[in-house]
Amino acid sequence: MQLFTKVTMSLLEGLGTTLKIFSLTLIMALPLGLLISLGSMSKFKVIKYPVKTLIWIIRGTPLMLQLIVFGLGPGLLGIRGMNMFVAVIIAFVLNYACYFAEIFRGGIESIPKGQYEAGAVLGLTKTQVFFKVVLLQVIKRIIPPMGNEFLTLVKDTSLANTIMIYEITWNAKRMMNSEHILWPLFYSGVFYLALCGILTLIFNHLEKKLDYYKG
Amino acid sequence: MAILEVKNIKKNFGKTEVLKDVSFKMEKGEVVSIIGSSGSGKTTLLRCINFLEKADKGQIVLNGEVIFDGEEHKKMSNEEIRKKQLNFGFVFQSFNLFPQYSALENVTLAPKLLAKEREDFKQNKAEIYREIEENAKRLLNSAGLGEKYDSYPCQLSGGQQQRVAICRALALNPEIMLFDEPTSALDPEITNEVLKVIKSLADDNMTMIIVTHEMAFARGVSDRVIFMDNGVIAEEGKPEEIFTNPKSKRLQEFLSNVRM
Repeated sequence: MQLFTKVTMSLLEGLGTTLKIFSLTLIMALPLGLLISLGSMSKFKVIKYPVKTLIWIIRGTPLMLQLIVFGLGPGLLGIRGMNMFVAVIIAFVLNYACYFAEIFRGGIESIPKGQYEAGAVLGLTKTQVFFKVVLLQVIKRIIPPMGNEFLTLVKDTSLANTIMIYEITWNAKRMMNSEHILWPLFYSGVFYLALCGILTLIFNHLEKKLDYYKG
Repeated sequence: MAILEVKNIKKNFGKTEVLKDVSFKMEKGEVVSIIGSSGSGKTTLLRCINFLEKADKGQIVLNGEVIFDGEEHKKMSNEEIRKKQLNFGFVFQSFNLFPQYSALENVTLAPKLLAKEREDFKQNKAEIYREIEENAKRLLNSAGLGEKYDSYPCQLSGGQQQRVAICRALALNPEIMLFDEPTSALDPEITNEVLKVIKSLADDNMTMIIVTHEMAFARGVSDRVIFMDNGVIAEEGKPEEIFTNPKSKRLQEFLSNVRM
């Protein structure tokens, strides 16, 4: 029983770090993603193509590799004192912003041209068309893919253990090694399951809330 | 003085000449129908009149004032275009209602946003909004939608949606209403309920341009009919002349095909 409490405390401690990575990533990656998506749809080629290249590189390489690059890269270049947690946040924000950007782009481009035209002939400004007409429709359309990304992010936080961030998986592994037991690893799965369960409920609720209209 | 003058409008899409020098005039209170086969340029002409498409050449003159000039339109700011578009009400073939708003909200959205530009908006906000809503309800009632204020577009039939769309355009008190094939997306059975609303506007002396494939309706409602073919006005005249005594060979062909 004492051991169970010990493992639980350790995993809860890890949970704090996991939640920190999760929420900091969302807070920064969502607006950055919107910015990147607007860049990738830009009329100006000097903006569009560099942004598209960035998306390609970030989505085309493993997040694990990006974590190592941001975590260990500065040290290899002779820059001392890079905070590992900061490195993790940079890697996650950049990675997730690029995925979010593509989801935003898909949502924005899926809105029929007629909606913009209807707004225009009614004398709405471009800003009003975006915020009063298009935005809610985009949000409704991107909720399902966003739900996917949020769940993936919960589980991806475990990758941070590769550069010595003490999140849930790291603490589970430490318990396994120090106590010579296997079960903390399975126990850690329960934490991820619970987080994903809560998120699923939230997203279902959002979907229901926007179910009052179709289209 | 003519309320609207369309002068020498030309429009290309890439290398395709869609409009090759189109001119016509209309008087206040006049109802003009534009007929012609698909691809003849009638929808493009309508869209050029309220700047949904920018004509390459030519002028649009409203009440004697040049509101569009093909040579100068690049200098026009978005803000200018937006203000000028408000002279026209536009009804789309595919309704384009805003799905997340109820019928009433669809009609009140634009007037409420525009009211914010009024100087007395802050003092009289409640009063202004109340007027806008009353006006919207009056419009919906007269279109036979008195019980549908709170319905969302997805809960309405195509005919009802199009009637809401007409009310939405009317709510801004446009000088001229433009209809782009307003019944083409509807069942033949439902078509009539929309045509009735348009007919009642004609009876109230609304100035209108109607692009349509409903020949019987065009004949019944119009003061004048324009037949477009291959980017030009091939023939125009009173509905009786156009439908009973077509002069050009192309119009004769078109009418005989349509009647079948």
